[in-house]
Amino acid sequence: MKGVVFVELLSMAESAFGEDVVDNVLDKADLENGGAYTTVGNYPCEELVKIVQAFSDHSGLSPEVLQRKFGHWMMEFFAQHYGGFFEGKEGSLEMLEAVDGEIHVEVRKLYPDAELPRFDARRVNDTELELLYSSPRPLVEFCHGLIEACVDRFGESGSIDIDPTVKPGNKNSTMFNIKLNEQ
Amino acid sequence: MSTANEDQVSRRRFEREKAARQEAERLLEEKSRALYLANEKLNAYSEELEKAVLERTADMRRALQKAEAAAATRSRFLATMSHEIRTPLGGLLGMIDLVYGDETNPETREYLEYAKTSGQALKRIVNDVLDFSKMEAGAFQFENEKVDIRALISSVVGLAGGNLGSGESRIRESISSSVPKLFLGDATRIRQVISNLVSNAVRYSTDGPIEVRAFSTRHEKGALLRVELEDHGIGISPELEETLFKDFSQIQNRLTAAAQGTGLGLAISKQIIEGINGTIGVDSVLEEGSTFWFEIPVEVIESVPSKTTGKSDLSKADRRSVAGVRILLAEDNPINQKLILTFLKRMKAEVELAENGAVAVRKFAPNTFDLLLMDVAMPEMDGLEAIRTLRELYPAEDIPPIVLLTAHVMEAIHQESKGVGVARVLSKPISYDDLEAGISEVLELHQSETPSTRGVEAPSPAKADVIDMMSADVAKQLLDAMPKADLLAIVEEFISDSRRLLGEILAHQNNQNAALVAQSAHSLKGSSGSLGFPRISDAAKEIEGGITELSSERISQLCQAIHDDLSLLDQAFGKQA
Repeated sequence: MKGVVFVELLSMAESAFGEDVVDNVLDKADLENGGAYTTVGNYPCEELVKIVQAFSDHSGLSPEVLQRKFGHWMMEFFAQHYGGFFEGKEGSLEMLEAVDGEIHVEVRKLYPDAELPRFDARRVNDTELELLYSSPRPLVEFCHGLIEACVDRFGESGSIDIDPTVKPGNKNSTMFNIKLNEQ
Repeated sequence: MSTANEDQVSRRRFEREKAARQEAERLLEEKSRALYLANEKLNAYSEELEKAVLERTADMRRALQKAEAAAATRSRFLATMSHEIRTPLGGLLGMIDLVYGDETNPETREYLEYAKTSGQALKRIVNDVLDFSKMEAGAFQFENEKVDIRALISSVVGLAGGNLGSGESRIRESISSSVPKLFLGDATRIRQVISNLVSNAVRYSTDGPIEVRAFSTRHEKGALLRVELEDHGIGISPELEETLFKDFSQIQNRLTAAAQGTGLGLAISKQIIEGINGTIGVDSVLEEGSTFWFEIPVEVIESVPSKTTGKSDLSKADRRSVAGVRILLAEDNPINQKLILTFLKRMKAEVELAENGAVAVRKFAPNTFDLLLMDVAMPEMDGLEAIRTLRELYPAEDIPPIVLLTAHVMEAIHQESKGVGVARVLSKPISYDDLEAGISEVLELHQSETPSTRGVEAPSPAKADVIDMMSADVAKQLLDAMPKADLLAIVEEFISDSRRLLGEILAHQNNQNAALVAQSAHSLKGSSGSLGFPRISDAAKEIEGGITELSSERISQLCQAIHDDLSLLDQAFGKQA
């Protein structure tokens, strides 16, 4: 898991709970490197799960809610630092379709060893997209938050449902059904 | 949380940030090193690749050179072999012709016919292989000479018709009046294509008429000549039509026994026609027959045919007779001498033989011959050299048409022959018919060009002038000693003798044989001196005395001066110079 995710997760926690809380939580959590993360490093995903769980314990919010909020936070971060990817996109669905083909291609140029999730997009019609998210990591809600934030970013609205019946071939896959409201 | 706490960073936070930074720096160094190594590797690859490409290129170049050398060797071998086979084969065929002509026993005549047919088949194969190897070597070159397509078709048909043996020819000619009488082209090659198409038609169809048609349409170059050959033979299937013009392809058929050959004929024809910017093709219906055709753009010289009837002259029966024609033959090979002499005598021509070019130059005199038949490769002075010498010695209208005989395979000869002015190049070995047709065509063309000069004796001259041109005292002395007519005869002889000597001087000069130049000049000096032509004798004396010091330009100047004086004398005798 890329260091940037850890750094940003801690930033979010700092903005929500304050630095001292974050430091306390990190000290208590059993983390390999004592919670020192750099954006250019790579760290095991279990660490992230541990941190989320630790904040959940501290705040009483469920890990799923935290993940989803973190999705919104990361979308903001992406938009700020990598605005180029958003340029020329007409709407959120087009943006989501471009994740595998454009964004992940660029990521691999910088980090050839990055383990990226897959996003297989199928456009049902102008306002509907099926997005199959495949990753061995238990970050479905994080992903959910990212999609929500993406729709918001383009000033759109609609429903984002997880289809529990669709698990095609791989238990690590999740089908998101995104339907935009007509505008 | 106090404000002091917000300004200050706790120790553990600082330690955590420091650890993160060190980790980042370590990662950065690691990445830089990896990048450096990757770069090194890439450079090594690229160098290796470059080396491999260079090596591979060198290998390929070597292989190409080897292949080219091999191909050249093969072409040369084929050309040499074909050439070497052609010469004795020509001798064989010629001798068979001679024996056949004298033989009266029908059985023997039949055997001789078989021998001749086989020999001709062999000759065709050898010629095909030779042409093919030339074609492969890219050495095919084309002449631009005057072509009379009517005469050409007639003679091809005449020969092919004779081969049928049934007496009556089943080949019909139909030549449209739109076809120009004379155009510029390569007669030999066009003949070869037509002859090839005709002989295919004869071989692949047992019965039914064969028709040769020719017509022409307008074309930016002058005219587009189209020749068609229709037979009613076995025909060609569409699949075979495609491969037909490729090398070594041959149609299998029930006549295969009769249809032997290398299968190169059409490939060669195609190469020829395309070489002169034409197209060749075939329209055929299986079991019904084929029409082979070619179209070539030609430059028209004379558009209206003399006889508008369409049927033209020069078929074997009515081509211009060679009988009584005076021919100077220069040929060194004794067998060829014998052969061609016999051929020419059988044509009732009057032949004078010269064993080489130098002898031919010596024997030549204006108005003595109607045609020069010149071999190329001869000892002492070759045919081309002899022609050049004659051209230097005599004005153009004094030199009759020249036919070059050559067994040379190199097209360069054709090129060179064009430079010296040759009416036709005939290749050896030559058959009786080809020789007769060649001579006859050349004479025909020559006559049509210069309608009135042939056969008319030079008008009687004002011969007194000749005496005036001699130095006065010598003339007086000589006139005292002999009648004027005798003196004039001597002077006339002197002129032709001087031309001969001049020719020798030029020839020896070319061969850089100073001793022989001096010898001829000496002889010229003597005769001109005693007849009282001081300018000539002075020039000859300068050549004789200064042969080692004089520049070749000076010698040319002196020869030119002598030549001019001789021409003046000729004029005085009333001959045109």
